[in-house]
Amino acid sequence: MNPLTPHLPKPPSFISSSKLSHDQSYHHHMSTNSDPSDTGATEKWAAKLLQECAEAISVKDSSKIHHLLWMLNELASPYGDHDQKLAFYFLQALFCKATESGERCCKNLASIVERSHSFESARKVILKFQEVSPWTTFGHVASNGAILEAMEGETNLHIIDISNTYCTQWPAFLEALATRNDDTPSLRLTVVATVGMGGSVMREIGHRMEKFARLMGVPFEFQVVRVATRLGELKEEDLGLQEDEAVAVNCVGALRRVGVEERNDFLHMLCSIQPKVVTVVEEEVDLTSSRSEFVKCFKECLRFYGVFFEMLEESFAPSSNERLVLERECSRSILSVLACDENGGGDCERREKGSQWCARLMEGFSPMSFSDDAIDDVKALLKRYRPGWSLRPAEGDASGFYLTWKDEPVVWASAWKP
Amino acid sequence: MMKGDFEVVNGALNLVQPSETWDYTPAGFPVPHHISNLPSTTARPVLDGHCTNTNLSDFMEQVASPFSEASPSTNGFPMDTSLPTDNITTSPDEYRSRKAPRRVHESAACGGESRSSKSLAERDEHGLNMITILLECAVAISTENLPQANRMLLELTQMASPYSPSCAERVVAYFTKAMTSRVMNSWLGFCSPLVPHRSILSAFQAYNNISPFIKFAHFTANQAILEALHQKERVHIIDLDIMQGLQWPALFHILATRADGPPHVRMTGLGTSMAMLEETGRQLSNFARRLGMSFEFHPIAERAGDVDPSMVPSQRGEAVAVHWLQHTLYDATGPDRNTMRLLELLAPRVITLVEQEMAHTGSFLDRFVESLHYYSAIFDSLGMSLPFDNPSRHRVEHGLLSREINNILAIGGPARSGEEKFVSWRMELACRGFVQMPMSGNSMAQAQLILNMFPPSLGYTIFQGDGTLRLGWKDTRLYTASAWTARPTR
Repeated sequence: MNPLTPHLPKPPSFISSSKLSHDQSYHHHMSTNSDPSDTGATEKWAAKLLQECAEAISVKDSSKIHHLLWMLNELASPYGDHDQKLAFYFLQALFCKATESGERCCKNLASIVERSHSFESARKVILKFQEVSPWTTFGHVASNGAILEAMEGETNLHIIDISNTYCTQWPAFLEALATRNDDTPSLRLTVVATVGMGGSVMREIGHRMEKFARLMGVPFEFQVVRVATRLGELKEEDLGLQEDEAVAVNCVGALRRVGVEERNDFLHMLCSIQPKVVTVVEEEVDLTSSRSEFVKCFKECLRFYGVFFEMLEESFAPSSNERLVLERECSRSILSVLACDENGGGDCERREKGSQWCARLMEGFSPMSFSDDAIDDVKALLKRYRPGWSLRPAEGDASGFYLTWKDEPVVWASAWKP
Repeated sequence: MMKGDFEVVNGALNLVQPSETWDYTPAGFPVPHHISNLPSTTARPVLDGHCTNTNLSDFMEQVASPFSEASPSTNGFPMDTSLPTDNITTSPDEYRSRKAPRRVHESAACGGESRSSKSLAERDEHGLNMITILLECAVAISTENLPQANRMLLELTQMASPYSPSCAERVVAYFTKAMTSRVMNSWLGFCSPLVPHRSILSAFQAYNNISPFIKFAHFTANQAILEALHQKERVHIIDLDIMQGLQWPALFHILATRADGPPHVRMTGLGTSMAMLEETGRQLSNFARRLGMSFEFHPIAERAGDVDPSMVPSQRGEAVAVHWLQHTLYDATGPDRNTMRLLELLAPRVITLVEQEMAHTGSFLDRFVESLHYYSAIFDSLGMSLPFDNPSRHRVEHGLLSREINNILAIGGPARSGEEKFVSWRMELACRGFVQMPMSGNSMAQAQLILNMFPPSLGYTIFQGDGTLRLGWKDTRLYTASAWTARPTR
């Protein structure tokens, strides 16, 4: 390893070093502290170093890769500030990429998570998240509004729920059903559970939902459909559809879990079951179109999770365990996207933007607009949270609308009918 | 490791003679107006000399035992911030034998809140599980089995939180992070550190505020320095790692108010950055000026082991005091042999040394085991004083202790440079002909006054023996203060 070569990046200015060199025999270097005005110059150091590293990996510049990984390793921490966290989690992904151990890591993590997640812990995390941030509740309120409207006048409802929010969407929906002016319809709720959602968790959720429905006086049935390996394999026959029922399909953070090549077929399948409405909620980031261009994908991934982590930091208390769990969840997604190829690592994590989903959905569906009531409900919801959140209707190629945080669209919600 | 008759003394004995008049240092510590010999303490010997565990299973049992004995948490402890009166009763609980359950002092009492949703048995199992994996991971690293280590680290990162009410879990979280970093460095093949000095300093200050260890180091050393510089007109104090010079205002205050007038004080401060040293120098000069004490400051932005002795000239008639507080935040001294040579050349009237009671050298596994024990005690002590979500506590754990743990587990240990380091400075000083000056009763008094700021029931303990003073937490010795001279005392 050569001593400092001109093209090797310097560490952020809060760590300027006068002599920086390293070789196989642990050459010591003198590190001095530099300008008193630390903070300004050193914000966003993580993004800068990470991007340089991604670029170095894509051109296989070995010495630069090592140098940057070393720097990131020294500066990163999963328990520190924003930059330190981003550095840590993205460093993990880059390291796995460089050592081609991404798939193995993803598999290991998946089984660890499966083992350690309990109903209590999952519930605690998601409820806390919903308390401090509208990230998930936005999609719930929008979807519930669209479904209620589409199912107006129906007596036998069947909702196929393919989401990742542990049925926290449905209590409010049951309440709305119970308080409708006309006779309370019956509701069958079919939850499609993928590999990551443990059996014990779903059972517990089922019990609670049944209990709540009884309380609300809504005739209710709950069933879980387990998909063996990939969500894309879900078939109509698996869903237990019956005659004389109005079907709604609720896809919250679901479509992205379908393998990229299988997405159009999956939507086709949904279309073929003739639902009254399909609600789609997805996070607004494109990790799909660039999947063969590592650097581009990396940048978009970094952008999105940078925003997400920032949002988490501003929403939760500093020592929040729930926030830590969510951050770790992100790290698994990041690892899956950056260090695994298409077929590895369980559920797909390659999200697409609203406009991209629209292009796919337009094949068999046409967009449904949200009623004024539904939109008012969402606006009322956002008022309950800290400032920074807002609603923006989609424009151009996309329909539906966005949840924005500090004016940046982060979550997209839409409704469709065949 | 020196064996001897160690005596455990808690902040309980009344050494303060009511008839003495007291002065107050800027930091608020009462200080005797004149130096006199207070009666030495007669405490009951309780422990044997050993404190380090070389038997891993003993250690495992000791570390794991809190999990099997943890009881539901009590509410958070009231922190008594008022200065207590002189008469403090000893709580007999402090002197249990080492193998006694540490129930009170572990996750149960650590922080107010428990995870009430998990049953006790679940929590214990979780804790035991974590520790087991941590130890297995350390073994994997020690045998260079990096893929195996990585697999276990993945698991540990999902399991342990640094915000947990359980101190053990916090310790596991940070050890996991350190080992993750270590694995990466092993793979990369180099391990020089990048050191963010400002954030370390801020964490160091927080540590000084919430914990007695730094004050213990400062005040016992100051006392020894005072005694050695008794009646000297010109003094030269050399601080081998001055940082922000937190130690010195208290000493200056006493020197300035000496019965026979203040001495002329020359101070040489070593550190990592000239800018920071100059800032420190300015602060200290201002303070000295306000006290009416003649003062010069010389900054040297080098490590002691890199310094050319000609940069630290002695002046005639000067009494030299050298001070060093050992830590593993970064390598402050460099090649130890050179530092020793410098000390020999300086031939100081007093060298005050405060060492961490933990191996900085040796195999990875040795360092791992000792540091796990060491930092468990420190984390425990913090957990007793502050709730789990206290930001200062987090700043200290994350910004300071975690950094030390990182460095200790790094390739080659905290030096991170492959440079040769002494196993024990006390041993080396003794070998090189320096003569130990036993820490006096006054130093002991200083230590106890500091402990009195932290309610005795919390668990800080002072050990006195072999001429040294050791501050620890419960049974674990953490910092040892000793004083040496280049020539026999008159």
